[in-house]
Amino acid sequence: MTFSKPSQALIDKTTGLLQSGMNARAFGEYGAPEALGDARWTDELILSTWYMAETGKLPEGLNHKTGKSDGGFDRLDFRYLPESEWLEHSEALDTTLDLNRRGDAKRRISIDIPWYGGGMSYGSVSLNVMMSRARAYAKWNSYMSTGEGGYPIELMECKENVITQVATGYFGVEEETIQAAPIIEFKYAQGAKPGLGGHLLAAKAGEEVAKLRGSVPFVSLFSPFPFHSTYSVEDHSKHLDWVETINPTALLAVKVSTPHDVDMVAIGSYYAGAHIIHLDGSYGGTGAAPEIAKKNIAMPIELAIPKVHKFLEKEGVRDRVTLIASGGVRTTDDIAKAIALGADGCVLGTTDLVGLGCTRCSNCEGGPSGRGCPWGLTTTDVELQEWVQPDWAVQRLDNLYSAMQYRLRDILRQLGLSSVTELRGRTDLLRYIGKEEAE
Amino acid sequence: MSVVLESSGHLGESDVSSALTYEEFGAESARLGRQIADRYQRYEIETTEVDDVDPLPHRFLVEVGKIGLAKFIIKEMIHYRGQVDIILSRPCTYGVFSGPVGGFVPRPKLCVGCLRCTVQHPEFVSVLPNPDRLNLGDSYTTHGHIAAIDEEAKKGMVPVRGQGYRGRFGGPGFDGMLTDMSEIVRPSRDGIHGRELIGTSVDIGTKPMNLSFDSSGNLVGSSPRMFSIQVPFIFDVPPGDLGTRQMARILDSTSKRIDTLICLPAANVLDWEMDSANIVPVVPKSLPEMVSEFEAARLIELDGWDIAALEIARAATNALLGVRISFTDGWQERFSQAVNHGVEVIHLNADLHGRGSDGRFVSDLFKEAHMMLIDQGRRDVVTLIGSGGIVGADHVPKAVISGLDAVALDLPVLFALQGRSHGSMTDRGEVRGTLPRKMTDEWAEQRLANLCASWRDQLLEILGAMGIREVRRLRGEFGRSMIVRQLEDEAFAGIEGYVSGGPA
Repeated sequence: MTFSKPSQALIDKTTGLLQSGMNARAFGEYGAPEALGDARWTDELILSTWYMAETGKLPEGLNHKTGKSDGGFDRLDFRYLPESEWLEHSEALDTTLDLNRRGDAKRRISIDIPWYGGGMSYGSVSLNVMMSRARAYAKWNSYMSTGEGGYPIELMECKENVITQVATGYFGVEEETIQAAPIIEFKYAQGAKPGLGGHLLAAKAGEEVAKLRGSVPFVSLFSPFPFHSTYSVEDHSKHLDWVETINPTALLAVKVSTPHDVDMVAIGSYYAGAHIIHLDGSYGGTGAAPEIAKKNIAMPIELAIPKVHKFLEKEGVRDRVTLIASGGVRTTDDIAKAIALGADGCVLGTTDLVGLGCTRCSNCEGGPSGRGCPWGLTTTDVELQEWVQPDWAVQRLDNLYSAMQYRLRDILRQLGLSSVTELRGRTDLLRYIGKEEAE
Repeated sequence: MSVVLESSGHLGESDVSSALTYEEFGAESARLGRQIADRYQRYEIETTEVDDVDPLPHRFLVEVGKIGLAKFIIKEMIHYRGQVDIILSRPCTYGVFSGPVGGFVPRPKLCVGCLRCTVQHPEFVSVLPNPDRLNLGDSYTTHGHIAAIDEEAKKGMVPVRGQGYRGRFGGPGFDGMLTDMSEIVRPSRDGIHGRELIGTSVDIGTKPMNLSFDSSGNLVGSSPRMFSIQVPFIFDVPPGDLGTRQMARILDSTSKRIDTLICLPAANVLDWEMDSANIVPVVPKSLPEMVSEFEAARLIELDGWDIAALEIARAATNALLGVRISFTDGWQERFSQAVNHGVEVIHLNADLHGRGSDGRFVSDLFKEAHMMLIDQGRRDVVTLIGSGGIVGADHVPKAVISGLDAVALDLPVLFALQGRSHGSMTDRGEVRGTLPRKMTDEWAEQRLANLCASWRDQLLEILGAMGIREVRRLRGEFGRSMIVRQLEDEAFAGIEGYVSGGPA
């Protein structure tokens, strides 16, 4: 069965119902759907994200801080100062993050919030979603990675805020898009499927996706693991040199998973010339991954950050590289905890999608319908993708980041810190809480 | 110019006796290479999706308020008069509301839980988790494990889904163990796509720790006594009341098809005339002379350690002899004695939750057994097989990392065949299960073959991510695993309130 682009009236009806329904659930007019949520993304986390995306404010009466996974971020809390010592909540509380710490001749890039958008390829998500994220991050003077699937021409309007990703399949990688990007990201591995490469199922590799990737429509695309040109850290260095030749001013980011020797990988990347080391933990999102990989291979991000942070410190290079964490970072509190554990900032993916309506039903890969996400997020189906209209989506994400930045400032002021950079590595400001308190 | 090269005799061809030119040598090499390549058959388990005969309860219940729906339809018909595509549009892409009377009689078996309907129409649509589904299994073999096994046995594929991990952080048992990966090391030059080249065969039996030769180059001393199976899992004696003749027949045919083993009580093997190379008769240690009845068996197990029984059995058969040792009090002593007396295969048994009588989990118990052999410098002299607590695909590599050569499957067989458990899921002897009435041997064999194919493919994923080319190299590779508790100790040390293992 083939579907065509829906009429405007149908788009209006469907989006109207979806948006009003999300608000009705988030504002408490109706309770949380009984089947909503899981241990990592509880119903309250999802609804609170919807609330923030709609209002730009923090919800009252919904836990917007933690899930119920009984470990990691969910068992950590902050050691806040007594209320009398809190700073004033104001815009003077600095949330900016510098991405180039090497002190070299490349771009000086500072983002207004200590997070940027993780790679979700065109194909894994629709163009509407991709554009909405790019525009929203541009509004916040931050960035969004293309993911591995090429660089749709429409993205050029946001090129100053788009990171070009080079991944193992080299899908859609062109000299032009490398030259256009202020940051180039080499993706070695993905937290949700470490060591397994990527896989775009045939149903989602439609005409436009295939064109951009230089492939045949509706044929499954495998992104191999690992880079076939990389057998050592020296080869990795050549990789970065290659990109530097094409775009001498771009910052170089290296995205890796979290194996046992992630600290060695990080230091190797630093000496190869990386400005940003991006660790992607095993609880991260994906458009499609073997279930066995999601939980069992490599380590959760909470456990990898301190390992790498301490090792880089020990090697004396910690202040010359930006350490970014992703893979299971859901909330502002997670971001702040990741920073306290030793990261400089974070990358978000699933949070953005939840803000746009994702219920984490796990049918992104196509599901039984083969059409992908019924909410229009992780799909290129010509009908379904229309359920996410860019103007609405940009506003949602803008609101979400506003609320998140507010919460981040709230955390900082209650810790007596005037800048997010002061929080880095401050494990003394964390406490590990008991199971009952966590729940 | 013709250059004389050496004869192609070294390539295994004797009909070419004269010297070859460059051109002839090239052509001949290519021909022989092709011949060798054509002879090679990659091991694979043929899978075919099979229909359900007794499907699991649906994941979700879908409830639609009929009055609310009727009101909504009337409102839409008025508002969108004449716009049929809009009036007929439904909030489900999976067909839950696409039956003859639409949402008035929803089809919950098609629901995947996207929740779009209940968000879009909160006033009259509810989607609830199905309690019948959630009540499957127990605290160890959860409804999630059962659903995964069911899917794997149905499709024979690696379950792939979108979104990330949904469960708890770490956890007890195998959940507290993570496997490693490598950013650049791959199992073959084909990268992960070389996963087809990863070996999953394991050796069953004994190998001397070194070979000795006399001055003429002849092998002296002990030589390997072993055979190989193609996957690091075998079927264990069906627990409880599952050991019917039909079940034995199905396991027998499946094990032949995928080249593995099945353990069956020796009396059943005799009664049902099933003696064959893939069947491992489990002989009571009180009747060791019984081993002589099994001429085809390559491996025979005694159901407990007894030195006298071993001696009698050894005198009565040339098959490899194994001993089953339960993780009950004094197992280390029995284990050591069995090893010291030259037992070639030891089959370690825990309860179905993977616990020994002292409450320790099998990953620790398997490791202890493995390390005892390592410490004695005798690891390759004995094959270690283990049962108990293996109910997920990830448990196989984790058990092998813990020191086993192979695992034995028990409860997964019941759930692969869409059976239901009514008894204990802890004590082997107390397992009570029913199998689908419509089950045929052919259907059941395909379901089990699918399960094995899926688990083998998932093992390949794990090995591929590690850059390990054969499962035999994974055995006892503790360094390629990570224990969540240890990682937490390293990461959270010094954080207020953190104590090793975390506060209660």
